[in-house]
Amino acid sequence: FQTTMDVAAEDSDQMPSGFHAKAAAKAARLRREAAKLASAAALESPGGIESRPGEWAPTQSKLLRRVAVAARPGHFELSLQYGPYSVAYDTTGRLLALCGRGGHVAAFEWRQKRLMFESQVNEPCHALTWVGAGSTPQLAVAHSNWTYIYDAQGLELHCLKRLHKANKLFWLPRHWLLAACTDTGHLHWQDVSTGQTVASYCGHHGPLRVSALHPDSGCVLTGQPNGQLCIWTPLEKRPVVKILCCPAGVRAVATAPAGHAVYTLGGDSRLRVWDIRCLRPLSVSDSGADAASIRLFDAAPQLAVSQRGLLACPVRQGAALMVLPAGGAKPLLSHPSPGRLSDLAFCPWEDVLAFGHARGLGSVLVPGSGEPNPDGAVHPLSGKRQRREAEVRGLLDKLPPETIAPPAVGGGVNAVDAEGIEEALARKRAAVMALPSDEVRQFQPRRRSGKASGELNRKVGERWQRRRMELRQLLKSKKRVLAEMGDEGADAAGGRKTKKAKKVSQSGELTKPATGTFLDRLIPKAD
Amino acid sequence: MKVKLLLRNPQDYLRETADDIHKLARNPAPELHPMSAETEYVRALNAAKLERVFAKPFLGCFGDQGDQLSRVCMHPRALSLCLSGCVDGRVAFWNIPRRSRVLQLDAHSGCVQGLCWHPEQDLFYSCCDTDRTLKAWRVGDDLTEFSRPVSQRHLDFAPLNLDHHVSKDLFALSGDAVYLYDSRRSDPVGQWKWGSDSVLQARFNPTEWHLLAAVTKDNALLLIDTRQREPLRRIRCEFRQNALCWNPQEPFVLATASDDYNLYSWDARRLASPACVYRGHTNAAMDVDFAPTGRELVSASYDCTVRLWESGRSQSRDVYHTKRMYRVFAARYSLDARFIVTASADFNLRLWKARASEKLGALTPRERAAVNTAEALKQKYAHHPQVRRIVQHRHLPKRLYQAQLEMKAIRGKQRRKEVNRREHRGEDKEPFVPERDRHVRGVDE
Repeated sequence: FQTTMDVAAEDSDQMPSGFHAKAAAKAARLRREAAKLASAAALESPGGIESRPGEWAPTQSKLLRRVAVAARPGHFELSLQYGPYSVAYDTTGRLLALCGRGGHVAAFEWRQKRLMFESQVNEPCHALTWVGAGSTPQLAVAHSNWTYIYDAQGLELHCLKRLHKANKLFWLPRHWLLAACTDTGHLHWQDVSTGQTVASYCGHHGPLRVSALHPDSGCVLTGQPNGQLCIWTPLEKRPVVKILCCPAGVRAVATAPAGHAVYTLGGDSRLRVWDIRCLRPLSVSDSGADAASIRLFDAAPQLAVSQRGLLACPVRQGAALMVLPAGGAKPLLSHPSPGRLSDLAFCPWEDVLAFGHARGLGSVLVPGSGEPNPDGAVHPLSGKRQRREAEVRGLLDKLPPETIAPPAVGGGVNAVDAEGIEEALARKRAAVMALPSDEVRQFQPRRRSGKASGELNRKVGERWQRRRMELRQLLKSKKRVLAEMGDEGADAAGGRKTKKAKKVSQSGELTKPATGTFLDRLIPKAD
Repeated sequence: MKVKLLLRNPQDYLRETADDIHKLARNPAPELHPMSAETEYVRALNAAKLERVFAKPFLGCFGDQGDQLSRVCMHPRALSLCLSGCVDGRVAFWNIPRRSRVLQLDAHSGCVQGLCWHPEQDLFYSCCDTDRTLKAWRVGDDLTEFSRPVSQRHLDFAPLNLDHHVSKDLFALSGDAVYLYDSRRSDPVGQWKWGSDSVLQARFNPTEWHLLAAVTKDNALLLIDTRQREPLRRIRCEFRQNALCWNPQEPFVLATASDDYNLYSWDARRLASPACVYRGHTNAAMDVDFAPTGRELVSASYDCTVRLWESGRSQSRDVYHTKRMYRVFAARYSLDARFIVTASADFNLRLWKARASEKLGALTPRERAAVNTAEALKQKYAHHPQVRRIVQHRHLPKRLYQAQLEMKAIRGKQRRKEVNRREHRGEDKEPFVPERDRHVRGVDE
């Protein structure tokens, strides 16, 4: 937008002096450069599929024939034997980790297929997440009892006994918090940088089996069997927000990596999309398709949402996965799964989707799922030094857990405390209209004794008599003004003129106030 | 079917050669920057904390002078030189960066009451009240030791202070009156007096060449025009003003250090009340000096602290104290407004930084950008309670902290009693008087 300085800069003879002209020119130049930077043609453009009407969703082999050879690493299948697998990408999208119910834990760079580590922990593993920054990646795995943290070489670094029977682990990168929901109904938030437990409590809402993280605010969303969606923060031991989102129990909850959309799948098999800011259903998308028309019949599906809003879900009892476009009902693509689908995860910054199933895991190409232009060093092609710098900066910018709050509740660092201001103003107005205190009105000066005390006592008594009369007048006038203002009382005092019926005396004239104080201003005037 | 898959070319993200800086991807879209306000707030908090971590203003002592120092005088043109006057009559010439004494003179037999430099020549003047002399000393290029002054003048009054005109060959001596001397004439060119008490200090206005201000022992501030025979104005204050200083950038502004623990800044165009009251010291303010920028003040106080102020803000920006520093009698800014030299009753001159957490070396462009960003962040979040708490808090030794609490209690009591009196006696008998109007008894013309 243009400011007065811009306008003035164009008309240089309006500048009061050369100093002002130079300053205005510099400001204008900086603004032009910023606008150019903001509107600069982005480096990459997003992917996508343009299909003719009537064309079927493409298979992976069809996609592979149409894309460059460099995209092939995104499509692979691993046949593994140790139970249904959960998969997790790290925030840069470079590393992929898997854990199986049979105790198999592994991590590898999926592009080069370079194995970081692989181990058999002899315990069922239910969930995993990458913690820490890209320079020193660590993996948190929820075993059957406790949660363990492994480093990039597979060495066990920590055993978190507090995170007992966790079924879902979440990583909050801006707060450096590891959040966990457990089968016992507990919620945990653990600071990974200092090792401090920020919060650990029982939610008293039953076992929290359906949960998701809202990354923009850091809140944990859980779906309850009574159809409620609860939003949890570390500072409150009760859900901060509860909305009834499904007529039957909630079977799945998913959130996009950025933004305010929350996907819930209810017992009626309908998928609903909510806006977490106003806690209402999101409006229908431009294409006209209604997400609620999508019905998913899997018992406990794992949904995944990509950075660009694509939704991946299992279909046919986990025999295949389907990717739906943002706000659409017609599938973008589908892919059969060799085993029953157990987990889905979109790769950040890439058009790739990983899925874990009962017989291993796989990865498919999904054009248009990844955000093409990252910011900073958190992207797959950032170097080691950049990731180290980003880790240090991330630690310095670590947000306190007080900043975790659902957007609907409001607040935030720059929120104006309008209520507080109103209260303060009301208090000031009340002070102006405060009646003289009883102590002041009933004060009796102390009587002195000794020589010439009689005269002194008389004088002081007279002075106080006069003052008491004055205070009585003041009290009367204030009471009258308050009465005229009616129910609004002292809060509304302070300048607001009300059109009340004027008091008319017996002679028919308007009564005039007897005080000569500033309160006369508040008394309604005669027309 | 048209298929486009997102594929990145690594060359676009890698630097070309090892001499290049690493490339940084940028996308200003707000979806990729959630909680940006909170992140900024945390950065402001960290900036405030780091400022306190690096706040080490004390640079060093100049060395024991052997007796109490009475005056400090900075060289008008050379950044690294200053003079100090001692109560036993010695004048020392110091190199500030090295904190070493270049030469020392046995200038007088009594306390050196006045020290000032000639604005253009390598000449300085000193005066003493015990031997009633004014001496001029020439400092050679090689700064060799010498023992006799260039010229000496016997005065028939006891001079209490000395100041030289910014460009003309005039100087003002204050004693029982304000005397204006021309270096070529033996008799004073002008004499001004108001009342019978002696004048403690007279200073020339650096911009208005005919204007002088003086502070007297009977709690008055005088404004003198050298073209007139009588002083222009006399402001009668509640307490004695110990020192005064003109603002080098604003011709009509002057500051005085008062015995009632405050500093006052005055607008010479409107002397009915001070423009600003600087409250913070817990004992008499002995000296005040403006920074060459005209935007900051430094004050030396009898309570063993040195306080720095921003012009117009009545709360001090910073307070300097050391275990070994006793009553501070003089404080001066260096010419580049980056350092402060203080003279105190523990026989020492001390060198301090004007900005406590400033890095003294050369700043690389990135360092400068980081410092500016930190400063901007602190200003943006200055009203947030956590940031304000860290930025404002200064550690004080126990006795100073207790003195501060005492002053607060005294002031609180005074205010409370006023409110009670107003409630009991009424607004007309106990009117509300703003802070500024409480300190001046009257202005005489």
